[in-house]
Amino acid sequence: MNDFVWLVRREFWENKAIWVLPACIGSLMVVAALFGKVEIAMPHAGGEQSEVAGVLFLTAIGGVFWAAMSIYSVWYLLDCLYADRKDRSVLFFKSMPLTDAATVLSKLCVGVVAIPLVYFCAADIAALLMAFVISVRARLAFGNVLWHAQLWLQVQALWLYVIATGVLWYSPVVGWLLLVSAWAKRAVILQALLPPLAVMLAERLFLGTHVSAIVLRDRLLGGTYASLHHPIHWSLANGEITPGVWQLPDPAGFFSSPDVWIGVLIGASFVAGAVQLRKRRTDT
Amino acid sequence: MSSSPALIEARGLSKRYGSFLALDRADFVVQPGRIVGLIGPNGAGKTTALRAVLGLTTYDGGLRVLGREPFAERALLMQETSFIADVAVLPSWLRVQQAIDFVAGVHPRFRRERAAALLAKTDIGTRRRIGELSKGMRTMVHLALTMAIDARLLVLDEPTLGLDILARRGFYDALVNDYMDESRTIVITTHQVEEVENLLTDVLFIDKGRIVLDCPVEDIGARYAAVEVADDRLAAAREARPFHERRALGKTVLYFEGADREKLQALGEVGAPSVSDLFVAKLSAERAP
Repeated sequence: MNDFVWLVRREFWENKAIWVLPACIGSLMVVAALFGKVEIAMPHAGGEQSEVAGVLFLTAIGGVFWAAMSIYSVWYLLDCLYADRKDRSVLFFKSMPLTDAATVLSKLCVGVVAIPLVYFCAADIAALLMAFVISVRARLAFGNVLWHAQLWLQVQALWLYVIATGVLWYSPVVGWLLLVSAWAKRAVILQALLPPLAVMLAERLFLGTHVSAIVLRDRLLGGTYASLHHPIHWSLANGEITPGVWQLPDPAGFFSSPDVWIGVLIGASFVAGAVQLRKRRTDT
Repeated sequence: MSSSPALIEARGLSKRYGSFLALDRADFVVQPGRIVGLIGPNGAGKTTALRAVLGLTTYDGGLRVLGREPFAERALLMQETSFIADVAVLPSWLRVQQAIDFVAGVHPRFRRERAAALLAKTDIGTRRRIGELSKGMRTMVHLALTMAIDARLLVLDEPTLGLDILARRGFYDALVNDYMDESRTIVITTHQVEEVENLLTDVLFIDKGRIVLDCPVEDIGARYAAVEVADDRLAAAREARPFHERRALGKTVLYFEGADREKLQALGEVGAPSVSDLFVAKLSAERAP
């Protein structure tokens, strides 16, 4: 366990962007709140409308961090088992009494737990600071629309749920990225993209069908579709915001979906493959 | 030789990369307390042999290192084995202090004070990043980390490649003065034989994936002879079946294996070949048609 902590710490030493990038995004947002226009047209702020504003505000901030986190995580997972082979430092790390499984799992853990949590915290801090700045600047004229303790907690819970289900849903993608990272000798991004493209093309050419394309599309775009009640705008349209946030998650549907667990199985086998490759490959 | 169990025991060790046979049924044994030079030309299979010993690659044949099967048990093996594979493999983003903390955190046999004491002898600050250090300094940091690990086996693969003469000398001096004792065993590969020949207790010559010579250094004089032969006795000397012949500066040196001393003395001046001369002689003989 102690070894694992050191392995994770090592990832933070190497990849400063894990926290520098969200810190920069958050700072930019706060700067925008400090110097940007805050006169959002909302004359009759109050009641349910203010909660709509609150949800929109928190969702917008969360969405920006979510997008940045997705891009960074993909890059991190693709790079993490490739970079040290490229600079040959893998030979140093392999001289330590650490198993390859522990190494791969530490990187997986950073990619799907540590990075999302860092972004989650950064989004929270940024939202709090922005709400505070906007409230002060607008002399609380409509600043109070951003302060609903209950709403904040609900949105927090929703984001954690979305992150947790997202990790499970995207586990085949995560596993694939690790596998390519452990395997590629160059051009990791290309090598991650080409095999699925080749499969789709081959299927289309030889069978005339496009099942793989549909499966892939549903997997890549279906994360929140699988874990939340849809349509996602249902509660907004009904004007029932406060109960709406609570009603969005669909854990029963998500955890009973075979799609989720088939994905987890595929993801786990990709990770196991990455461990085997890691045992054998030390150069690029 | 010694009856204690061998540290490394390879029997019919082979490794194939596609159609290329990097190791071809190599047999060798390394006994504890020795400094063994694994010597061969580029592409001879030195690094492949060491990769197999260190559990970095799969292989065919039998191989035991410290009683373990290296590929399957690399993590356990690394508790008692350290290696410096090539120069400059410490990652450039790592700070010297972080390197010490990390190794101290994951290696049960690492002694932090020792690493600090070794580094204090250099003028390398612990706040510095590896990437800011010269190649020689990086090697010294790596050596300090490695020497602070209380390992039974140390493997060095071309550890001084690309270093200047001062750094190379410093490296080997530190190794011999501050590290080596009878409880340790070192295996060094290099193609710069001259640099290590005074250190070694044993030599293993490897060529085209096969071990062509396996001999303690102290036995070289008894097993091999280099005879300087004058031109008028050359024909007679060739009768005695030398395995290699070299002509330099108007003299001819003939190399013999297991020949009768007294007979050789009649042919010319007899001496023990140096490790590097023996290496050249053996390899040329292996390659001769």
